[in-house]
Amino acid sequence: MRILVILIVLVLTMYAAQTSLLTYLDYNGVSANLLLLLTVSAAFLRGPYFGVTLGFFAGILQDLTSGDFFGCATFAYMTVGVIFGKFSERVVKDQFLIPIVSAPVAAAIYFFITVGFIHLLGYPIDIEKAANTNLVPLLFYQIIFALPVHKIVYDFDKSVVSG
Amino acid sequence: MEQKYRQKKPKPPTKKIAAIVVAFIAVFCLIFLSASGKIELPFFGKTAMVILSPFQNFFSWTGSQLSYLKSSITEIQYLQRQNRELREEVELLRAQNLTASEYASENQRLRALLGYKQVSTQFDLVAAGVIGRESVTWSSVIVINRGTLDGVANNMAVVTEMGLVGHVLEASANTSKVQLILDPRSSVGTLVQRPDSRVAGIVEGDMNDPNHPRMVNIPKDANVQVEDAVVTSGFGGVYPKGIVVGKIKEIHNEEGGLLKYGVIETSVNFEKLEDVAVIVASREAPPEPLPPILQTQGTETDPYETAEQLRKAQENLQQAQENVQQQQQQQLQQAQEQAGEQVGGTTE
Repeated sequence: MRILVILIVLVLTMYAAQTSLLTYLDYNGVSANLLLLLTVSAAFLRGPYFGVTLGFFAGILQDLTSGDFFGCATFAYMTVGVIFGKFSERVVKDQFLIPIVSAPVAAAIYFFITVGFIHLLGYPIDIEKAANTNLVPLLFYQIIFALPVHKIVYDFDKSVVSG
Repeated sequence: MEQKYRQKKPKPPTKKIAAIVVAFIAVFCLIFLSASGKIELPFFGKTAMVILSPFQNFFSWTGSQLSYLKSSITEIQYLQRQNRELREEVELLRAQNLTASEYASENQRLRALLGYKQVSTQFDLVAAGVIGRESVTWSSVIVINRGTLDGVANNMAVVTEMGLVGHVLEASANTSKVQLILDPRSSVGTLVQRPDSRVAGIVEGDMNDPNHPRMVNIPKDANVQVEDAVVTSGFGGVYPKGIVVGKIKEIHNEEGGLLKYGVIETSVNFEKLEDVAVIVASREAPPEPLPPILQTQGTETDPYETAEQLRKAQENLQQAQENVQQQQQQQLQQAQEQAGEQVGGTTE
């Protein structure tokens, strides 16, 4: 129960920081997506099932509060959780470079899933323009924030494991 | 704790995979149902916002504080840079101001000297700048930047627009040494300018009071008062007559008892001596214009108008005289002609 509460607080804190604090550092309205980084790191450390579960709740939180296309973030986070959770079985958990390298890849997956849904819903979208305005700055932000977020999640995971 | 995790019985992978697949399908459907407006979740949305709002408020406040801090730091950096630039500008402007003040001061001095040169038509002046001063304290000699090539020669008087400075002691090609009237070795023939006084004396430097020369050889009963103006007398041939030396500041009796001397407050400020003029030639001063005649109140006339009327009257009178002369000549000529005709008739 304690772990669940801490996890919820961590998710809420990350999302609140993403939507309130990082907006001061945004570039053309784009800033780092901490929930995505959290999902990637959790999936790497805890596997695909934990990753998809965390992705589901993180995505639901974002979808409920952001007013964006409902479900898109949930679907994208769950997908990211599954994909990168699969890698957790093949990589060393103490390795910090792989989550950092994975961060822009996850951002690209998130971007293309969202764009795909917007397209499926019948809204016209210029992918190249959207990539220039949204994806490129997001990639830089994700690379910058990947290490600190992964360090937080890693320390949290270690404290959980050690009891 | 790890043991605890490990002891838990893992769910069958197929069930997990099925749950994940169901979740994906559910979310996929949810997206389209929500987009079409068939599913709305306002309660969950509001609940999530209520839970999230304290966190967002905290981070928003933190962000605003950080933003304020950042803007303050940026502003401080900007102010520091601006302050540095302004300091540099102030230093530059101060230097320019100093130069401009120097030029203004020089301009003012030269204008005054030029004005004196234009007024003093009886003198031919050569303007010179003071370029040196003898370091020996008991003598008062300066060096000017004009010499024999400029027409300067020994024993020429040196003046400013304020009055007498001294005379050329030694003229070289480009520079000259000028002995000031403050020098103890200098002696200038002077007289009191006041018309009812005109007492003559010699102004010489005082070693005990280098800034105030003395006018000596004044008879004890001479009409000399404090504040009397002292000018050069022209005696001796070095200094032309009428150059202001200063005014008498104090009068003291000589030790012998027959003579007295006056302490002179020089008209020239020797401590600020920068530009001087050398009198290279002098001539008799032109007579001063007559002062206007005092007229009785109520009967004033314009002298220029009167002179004009007088001139016209003289012209008229001259014209009238010429006319009379012409008439007389004509009459005389006619009379001579008539007389000639009469003589011719008698002869016939």
